[in-house]
Amino acid sequence: MEQFTRIILLFVSTVLVNNFVLIRFLGICPFLGISKQVETAFSMGLATTFVMTLTGAATWLINTFILEALQLPFLQYVSFIMVIASLVQFVEMFIKKTSPVLYKALGIYLPLITTNCAILGLALLIPLNGYNFIESIVFGFSAGVGFTLAIVLLAGLRETLEFGDVPEVLKGVPITLILAGIMAMAFMGFSGLISI
Amino acid sequence: MQLWNDFKNGLWQENPIFRLVIGLCPTLAVTNTAINGLAMGLATSFVLLASEIVISTIKKLIPNDVRIPSYILIIATFVTFVDYFLKAFFPAVAVSLSLFVPLIVVNCLILGRQEAFASKNPVHRSIADALGMGLGFTWVLVLLSIVRELLGMGAVFGFQVLGDWYQPMIIMILPAGAFISLGILVGIMNYIARKGVRK
Amino acid sequence: MRKLLITLTVLGLISAFALAFVYQWTMPKILQHQEVGKKDAILTVLPESEQYQEVRKGDLTFYEGNKNGEVAMVASGGGFQGQIEVMIGFNPAAGKVYSIKVLNHQETPGLGAYITGGKFESNFVDKPFGEYKVVKRPVKSAHEVEAIAGATISSEKVAEIVEKAIKEIREVYGGEI
Repeated sequence: MEQFTRIILLFVSTVLVNNFVLIRFLGICPFLGISKQVETAFSMGLATTFVMTLTGAATWLINTFILEALQLPFLQYVSFIMVIASLVQFVEMFIKKTSPVLYKALGIYLPLITTNCAILGLALLIPLNGYNFIESIVFGFSAGVGFTLAIVLLAGLRETLEFGDVPEVLKGVPITLILAGIMAMAFMGFSGLISI
Repeated sequence: MQLWNDFKNGLWQENPIFRLVIGLCPTLAVTNTAINGLAMGLATSFVLLASEIVISTIKKLIPNDVRIPSYILIIATFVTFVDYFLKAFFPAVAVSLSLFVPLIVVNCLILGRQEAFASKNPVHRSIADALGMGLGFTWVLVLLSIVRELLGMGAVFGFQVLGDWYQPMIIMILPAGAFISLGILVGIMNYIARKGVRK
Repeated sequence: MRKLLITLTVLGLISAFALAFVYQWTMPKILQHQEVGKKDAILTVLPESEQYQEVRKGDLTFYEGNKNGEVAMVASGGGFQGQIEVMIGFNPAAGKVYSIKVLNHQETPGLGAYITGGKFESNFVDKPFGEYKVVKRPVKSAHEVEAIAGATISSEKVAEIVEKAIKEIREVYGGEI
């Protein structure tokens, strides 16, 4: 029961209180780059969540059974990024074979996920926070949900803003950054909600 | 002359942050004090320079279809080096940059330059490109962090410059302030760039 | 596929070899920094001791100073955002806290982050054991702690960590409230 409460708390705190994008600044590139339309933003969020959940599991296994067992901490970054790159490749092949529809929706975003710093950030946070196997998976999944939430919200705002009267020099990146700033302010309201 | 152009390119015309809008995670996350901004800029520049030298030297040995994973591996190696180096010789800097040192690995700026420049050009031009891009990245980071530190804490590089009368805008050193100040800065740069064109 | 494996294996081996060398070179320095940092913190919170000894009792580690029966320990707990880690110096016989030093924290910069840097920490200088009340004005009694403006929660969390540490120290070394 206690374990269960911990997991719920971990989920809420990762999605809202320590939102990867708006509070930890991870995954800004896709957040700004692929948030023009709600639909594509959602697909991107879905693909990222999928990879993040797998990354959570994979990095915990590698860190525990290879890096710590053989005392090779200096290979952490190299091995994590290689795992992520191969995981993304694997997911791409898997989806291509099993579900062409999903592949069509996510296909072009998948290769981009490798260089999404939210994924590597997630991998590095797992040994840092000392999560166990189950917690690592939950952490990966909820980080993905938090990412999806942020990117879909921003895309919604940007769609509306299409009809707004934005000063010429602020069009594009600047106004998107300012919008993200206002969203971050709103998310600050969650800080201190849970502390673990 | 060509070298000078390669170098100059990153400073303004193709400035990684203002013009190409890449590498934003560290730009936003570590620019709450000027020292952090400078350290991050230099660390990134070092990794960029080292990997451009290595990759433009051995580009013929790497088969074309496996180049991206190979580049990432080389970059990750240099990043690990920087991380241990900072921890050993500048522990205070290492603590305040924390997670964002390893995240240099996935800074799109670095991989992007390997793909767009180092893999196609000789070593000496790659060095010029890396220095230009690195400096272009660093000056924007320092500018942004000076603005944020000044408004958020009334200080620059840790020295209190504004007196007690100044009520610090704490929001500027929090995440929200990072987004907003970078947004306004990019807007100002757009304005300047546009004026230049009109002339 | 074979090309991929060969290239990555060769590069990986070179990288691992180079990094092993870097690791060997920097690790002693990194460990030394950590050691010096810990030593400084212990001697700051123990006013008279010049040396200390590490003692393990049960699950807890204490640092016993060489003068006056001074004892220091590291206590931690959840803060406003992440974990807060504090070094605390005690005199169990006199039933008081000498002083505290915040070692690690992830509190909001410009607000909660002021738990480090002296002014807030000085609240706990020569503090008698007991339960503390965090107040938003200058303190009037010995069991009060003045909160940082705008960061009451961070201030309360630190006070709670100190209270918890007092409980632990009293179980081992005694000391009256």
